[in-house]
Amino acid sequence: MSVIDILTRVDVLCKKYEKYDLDKQRGAADSMSGNDQFLRLYTVLEADIEAAIQKSQDAQSEKNRAVVATLNAEVRRSKSALQAEIPKLEKLAEKKVKDLSKEEMAARPDLVVALAQKIQDIPDGVTVGRRGGTWGAKAGASKPVEIKVDAMHPDDLMRPEHYEQTEESLGFKQEYEARRAKQDEGLDVIAAGLTTLKDMAGDINEELNKQMPLIDEVDTKVDKAAADLKNTNVKLKETLIKMRSNRNFCVDIILIVIILGIGGYLYTYISTPFTSPFI
Amino acid sequence: MCVKILKLGKLRKLEDGRASVEEERGRVKVAQRCMTKANYLTTLSFTRWVKDWANATPLFEQAALNFKLVKMPEEAKLAYQQAAMGQIKQSSPWTAAKHMEAAGVLAKELSCWNEVVDFFKQASALYVECGKVQPGADALIRGARAVQELKPNDALTMYMDACRLLEDDNREQMAFDTYRAASNLYIKLNKYREAAVVLLRWGQAANKCKATQSQCKAYLSAIIVYLYAESYEDALACYNNCASMDVFSKSDQDQCAQLLFLAYREGRANEIKHVISTSTIIPHLDHMIIRLAKQLPQGKVMSQEVPEMDIT
Repeated sequence: MSVIDILTRVDVLCKKYEKYDLDKQRGAADSMSGNDQFLRLYTVLEADIEAAIQKSQDAQSEKNRAVVATLNAEVRRSKSALQAEIPKLEKLAEKKVKDLSKEEMAARPDLVVALAQKIQDIPDGVTVGRRGGTWGAKAGASKPVEIKVDAMHPDDLMRPEHYEQTEESLGFKQEYEARRAKQDEGLDVIAAGLTTLKDMAGDINEELNKQMPLIDEVDTKVDKAAADLKNTNVKLKETLIKMRSNRNFCVDIILIVIILGIGGYLYTYISTPFTSPFI
Repeated sequence: MCVKILKLGKLRKLEDGRASVEEERGRVKVAQRCMTKANYLTTLSFTRWVKDWANATPLFEQAALNFKLVKMPEEAKLAYQQAAMGQIKQSSPWTAAKHMEAAGVLAKELSCWNEVVDFFKQASALYVECGKVQPGADALIRGARAVQELKPNDALTMYMDACRLLEDDNREQMAFDTYRAASNLYIKLNKYREAAVVLLRWGQAANKCKATQSQCKAYLSAIIVYLYAESYEDALACYNNCASMDVFSKSDQDQCAQLLFLAYREGRANEIKHVISTSTIIPHLDHMIIRLAKQLPQGKVMSQEVPEMDIT
């Protein structure tokens, strides 16, 4: 564990329990109005770093992209401002201050370096944080292969490994070929189905064209038959009415004659008893 | 109780059976009586100088119906013939044609194939006489279908006559099934060139009534039949003639034919088989043509030289 790490760890612990440190509080009050400009600047920078870290954490938890972009921009602005203050802090670290031990004086540059590293490590939505150049070094390459977009260096072109295939690229190519073959198979099936549909549609079209004039012919014939039937019905009706009227007339006359006959017979039958021998 | 019902049922069946036998006997008697009377009315004698078809025809029809019901086809056929004659004499060709068709069907049951052909041809002529071309053609087609197994040449004649009738009446669309039946029969008889001619005639009829789908299919079928008959030159000539038509040259069938000819030109049997097996057009042709196509290539396949064009 390096000195810087130890110092960082100590800072975290002190910060955690600083409310119990009466001396520091007293010292902070003194230093604010005192001569230790290094400490003053250091404190201010630390406070700014904390604020920037808080903003970056808010940006990571924020869902609204516009707000995230704004926060990241502010973090980046704060980072660049803080990085601008680091040289000043370095100069102040070398200045001698009264009542300060030699060890503390020696530790100040390390503190400045730690602070600079801390500023670098603040996530701002651009740099994720480098962990050394160990990500791209695979397949036993002597130099890690970095993927650069639109940045073809002549040295890269001359390197013999530049045009070789890696396991990743081979696998990708195989997967691509397999997927393309599968797509082609699917497209062939669709093509066959579409051909069948086209053939069926063509046959249906022809059949409909064939049936259309037949249906028109049937339509005409049925209309003609319906008209003939209508005429026939009308004639039949007229004939029936005529027949019935003739028959009624004859029947009426016959009935009248019969009734007159019966009436006459009754009259003669009734009238003859009154001319009987009682007279 | 159930046993009683079953017994009653059996009795009824027996009774029904007895009744049907008696009924049949009655029908036969009636039919024979009608036939005798009708023959008497149509026989010239000293007292009868003119045949009485007006009264005899209904008797003949009744007799024919009764004979048919009691399954006496020979007598029924004779009765129908006489009834048809009676209707002709009474200037009713439509009814006469119906009777001739019925007589033809009975002749088929009796396996009198010559009579079947004659009766159906007469029926067709009677239909045409009363101005009904479609029923005339249908009668010929029915007759052809009845005799195509045992008298294929007569059947083919009848099919082609039916096609000609429909073509003359500008009803080519109704003849497509006839063309198909005729070409299939020719293929069955191994007369491939004639089959190809019929298919081309079908294409011509389809062209007339603007049935492009059937036209292209007919042309491709003709090409396949020529290739099956091992006459590459005829097939190529047929293709060149058909390709001069826009309808065919822009169709999927033309592309299929081109691939086929390309494979033939290269002289590779495997390639020909591959083209036919992977084609999406050939499975939609008639089943007989598909069967022929699956057996291609026939004979020895040699690479065909493309004739060079003389540009001088």
